[in-house]
Amino acid sequence: MSEEILKALMQLFALLVKQDAGVDSTEVEYIRNFLNQQLTDESAREYLLLFEQHAGLDKKSSQDSVGDNSDRVKLTSVKDSVRILGICKKINKTLTQRQKVVVLVRLFEIVNATGKFSDQRMAILNTVAEVFNLEKEEFESISLFVTGEGSLDLDFPEILVIRQSVQTSTKAKYIHTEALDRELVILQVKSVDLYFLKYTGSEDIFLNGLPLYARRIYLFASGSTIKLPKGKPVYYSDVVSHFLADSTSVKVSYQVADLNFHFRSGTIGLRNISFSENQGRLVGIMGASGSGKTTLLNVLSGTETPTSGNILINGINLHLVKDQLEGVIGVIPQDDLLIEELTVFENLYYNARLCFRDKTDSEIRDLVDKTLTSLGLIERKDLKVGSPLNKMISGGQRKRLNIALELIREPSILFVDEPTSGLSSRDSENVMDLLRELALKGKLVFVVIHQPSSDIFKMFDNMMILDVGGFMIFYGNPVEAVMYFKRLDQQINSELGECPTCGNVNPELIFNIIEARVVDEFGKYTPSRKVAPARWEQFFRENISLAPVQKETTSPPGSLRIPSWISQIKIYTLRDFVSKISNTQYIVLNLLEAPLLAFILAYLIRYIADPNSSIYIFRENENIPVYIFMSLIVALFLGLTVSAEEIFRDRKILKREAFLNLSRSGYLVSKIMILFTISAIQALLFVAVGNAIIGLKGMNLYYWLALFSLASFANLLGLNVSSAFNSAVTIYILIPLLLIPQMILGGAMFSFEKLNRSIGSVDKVPLVAEIMATKWAYEALMVKQFKDNAFQRYFFDIEKRENSADFKKVYLLPELRNRLDECTNAIMEGLSWEDYTAAFLVLRNEVFKEQKVTPQIVFSQTEGLRNGEFDIEVAGELYEYFDLLDQHYTSEFEISNRQRENIVNFMLTEDPVKYRYLRDHFFNESLSDIVKKVFEKNKVLEYRHELVQQINPIYRDPLPAGPLSFRTHFFAPEKHFLGREFSTYGFNVFFIWILTALLYFTLYFDLLKKAIGFFDRPGLNMGGNKKPVNPV
Amino acid sequence: MEVIKILGTEDTPGIVMDAQNEIFEISGRSLPEDVTSFYEPVLTWLNGYVEGPNPKTIVNFKLTYFNTASSKVLLDILMKFEEIHNAGKEVLIRWYSPDDDEDMQEAGEEYADIVDVPFEQLSY
Repeated sequence: MSEEILKALMQLFALLVKQDAGVDSTEVEYIRNFLNQQLTDESAREYLLLFEQHAGLDKKSSQDSVGDNSDRVKLTSVKDSVRILGICKKINKTLTQRQKVVVLVRLFEIVNATGKFSDQRMAILNTVAEVFNLEKEEFESISLFVTGEGSLDLDFPEILVIRQSVQTSTKAKYIHTEALDRELVILQVKSVDLYFLKYTGSEDIFLNGLPLYARRIYLFASGSTIKLPKGKPVYYSDVVSHFLADSTSVKVSYQVADLNFHFRSGTIGLRNISFSENQGRLVGIMGASGSGKTTLLNVLSGTETPTSGNILINGINLHLVKDQLEGVIGVIPQDDLLIEELTVFENLYYNARLCFRDKTDSEIRDLVDKTLTSLGLIERKDLKVGSPLNKMISGGQRKRLNIALELIREPSILFVDEPTSGLSSRDSENVMDLLRELALKGKLVFVVIHQPSSDIFKMFDNMMILDVGGFMIFYGNPVEAVMYFKRLDQQINSELGECPTCGNVNPELIFNIIEARVVDEFGKYTPSRKVAPARWEQFFRENISLAPVQKETTSPPGSLRIPSWISQIKIYTLRDFVSKISNTQYIVLNLLEAPLLAFILAYLIRYIADPNSSIYIFRENENIPVYIFMSLIVALFLGLTVSAEEIFRDRKILKREAFLNLSRSGYLVSKIMILFTISAIQALLFVAVGNAIIGLKGMNLYYWLALFSLASFANLLGLNVSSAFNSAVTIYILIPLLLIPQMILGGAMFSFEKLNRSIGSVDKVPLVAEIMATKWAYEALMVKQFKDNAFQRYFFDIEKRENSADFKKVYLLPELRNRLDECTNAIMEGLSWEDYTAAFLVLRNEVFKEQKVTPQIVFSQTEGLRNGEFDIEVAGELYEYFDLLDQHYTSEFEISNRQRENIVNFMLTEDPVKYRYLRDHFFNESLSDIVKKVFEKNKVLEYRHELVQQINPIYRDPLPAGPLSFRTHFFAPEKHFLGREFSTYGFNVFFIWILTALLYFTLYFDLLKKAIGFFDRPGLNMGGNKKPVNPV
Repeated sequence: MEVIKILGTEDTPGIVMDAQNEIFEISGRSLPEDVTSFYEPVLTWLNGYVEGPNPKTIVNFKLTYFNTASSKVLLDILMKFEEIHNAGKEVLIRWYSPDDDEDMQEAGEEYADIVDVPFEQLSY
């Protein structure tokens, strides 16, 4: 109490008691007592002096004022009246309503000390109550409570009587006790949730260990205990539950029987836990670290299944019939479940949308506002939550908002894990007040609490104490717990649960006793404990028997109506969108990054070949293939970085949403939709800027689709990683591991034919490169760019024929003739079959292939070749056959060649400027060299008894072995699948999406995480206790 | 606005609230049996007056005695004038006390401390 308020109070007391006949000695005595309770002797004297001064006691000769006029003495002087008003107004500005009620009760009490309830005094009390804005009814009930004597005066609903005789009153509440001379009366002041106590008899009754004096009024604070001469003590919660009995409609019984829990490693987590509770209780769970508090909470809330034993909620088994109890239980973990970019309101709003399918938007908004108001957060509703480091709201507000997430559903049973850890003592008390209020409203609340302050400790109705190894060594009233352990430890003053002067309870004392260690002969502590956990449990079983609770059978109301899958996606998407859009840095960077990179890349490599010219010619820019490849790497990078932290950041929220039975696929689809949108925009910006600068015309849509597809693939890859790994650092370490192979095996940096032979292959892209999305995208764009640019598209088909014919004539047929010579010579010289098998097999395979490609030129001995029949005659026919082929290809080459030249000549005569323009700005020499492999030394290679064309891959049609074989050589002009022909671009882009879909599948089932979990040693993570050991 | 005119008796004060003629006065002794219902019409009237006050309001308090319950209502009345004052209109409270009545004078001073409105102490 501040000095100012105490001064004001002294004046108020003085002005009150000086009325009528003036101050009585009992009244001075009362004031002295009152001051001595609050202050040191010295300052008490000082304030008593102040009181006497205002009461007019310091004037020794009080005759002049009293004797004046007997009529005037009876009336309160106008000055005093106004002064009282002034003091009350001042008090109004500093004290809370609860404190004001206490002040009023004290005023009543001082008047009651002498029993002089004159009109003047009552008028003052009345006026004070009015200025304090107290309800008329409550003033009346306080007045009756203070002045009333017997229970007949006090028969109204705000009264509770503790008495020996049977109940006579009809409206007042009643608690029976034994051997009590008179009665204990308790008044509830509902508006401020305060309880006052008075005792009319003369027996030794103790309130929190301190004796009660008759006629005095005591504040019956939360956590208080009344010790009666006989019978069991009356606890605060007993009293409160009597007053709440009428208001709570939801009845809950929670019964735990013989709960045991073993970890997978075999360690025992919980042993024989049994207890039961009804609605409207606040139950604490305490224990040293490693005693299994969090495990217990997990089992009690149904997230973990016990090894044996069961939990019945209104008779329904929590672990077996889970769906009947959906929404009954709420869990508030220690983790922070807030989305940092959203405001206080938005966090709660989206959460509420995900919990109530039936409510309209405005109903939900109202509900959120109401909840925020009741938690005192309404003024902060538009503030961004921010990270715990970059604080926008205080730690206590954060915690309250976390509680609100679950509270808004109003589950009947609530489990809270360490709600006060890391909070200031003020914030802790606020949060605990909130939880206690919930209990008072009829919820059953379980709280794991660590090192509670005295006030918080006393708030609990019951306290469970666990000891190392999962032993339950106490269950009951918290203050009782202190006494119980002190008694077992044979300490002095074991009957005093709390400090007699300050009312503090020291919960640490319990743990000091429980964990006391044996001292060796040198006075040093040994590691062994005086009393083992099992022994404590035995004490508990011997000494304390738990009272049974009222069993309920009606099923408890569930409060969870989750929306449909589609609505969930909508809500998730909206939530994610709002949170992203509110982070300006994120948006700006994401939007600027792609065009900036495009600019840097395209500008730097915009190369003019002729040193004396300043005219940029696309055809001569040697960097175009690199540009294409780099664009793909950029898309991959952007796609990966934008997604790599997404799920990881949400993992706690996801855990909670899984608890609410919300759909994982809904969440993922919404994430993916947002990421794809970002990637699409980034790809668009990149292509728009990059292609414009580098002078790549007419292909923007194809480039965009390829980049977007690749970025989407990277998005999914990132999501997989972010879902599987447990820290941001590992995720970023992983990024190069994912990207570098994509670069190496993309097909641009190293030729697939020239890789390590163990993976490389001559005729097809190596298998390992087939799963590289970059390879598909690079091939798609290179082939598309070469085949379909505005210049080349006139020539591609003709050139393809021309080049094929040329290859056959110039490289293939000579090779075949060589082998035929070899075979013929071998036969002539009478060498054995083994000496020319290799040559023969090549001949045979190539003739088969040729027959498929040019069926018009017939080779009659095909059957013979197939069966390996080869002699001089067949050789002769082959020579003829080769000659025919030679002629055929020569004429084909000439026809194509002429066709091409005709087109060129036509274009040159028609519009030479346009021809040159098209050639300079759409065709690129360097790209053409690459897809034609003009620098390849080995034009043709023998591989597995076949001759594989090494040059001009872009003109070489793949020959599929079967309908399912889609693999081809690199830069194939088209792809085959299921007997159909597809353009390389379309097929490749489609294939990237197949890979992406595959990644969605692994993401949905979290296969990567499961794979990692499979390799994790089970022993490393036993006990599930992730918290650091708290120093005691 | 209608005019309030209550004649004083032994236990109730005389009250005039006349906006048109700019007369606002409370005088005499105030210890009515039921303070709330006695002053209710005055407070209702003032609620209306607050909505459209004169540019200048001078209120005369010429009381010889008031009891505790009345003191609260008087404060409520003063606070109405404070409202008018806060709205930017000119308000003056003239607090008259009998020459020899220090109590009444001090009561005026106390009121002046509680409400934020110009007070003028006068004696008669």
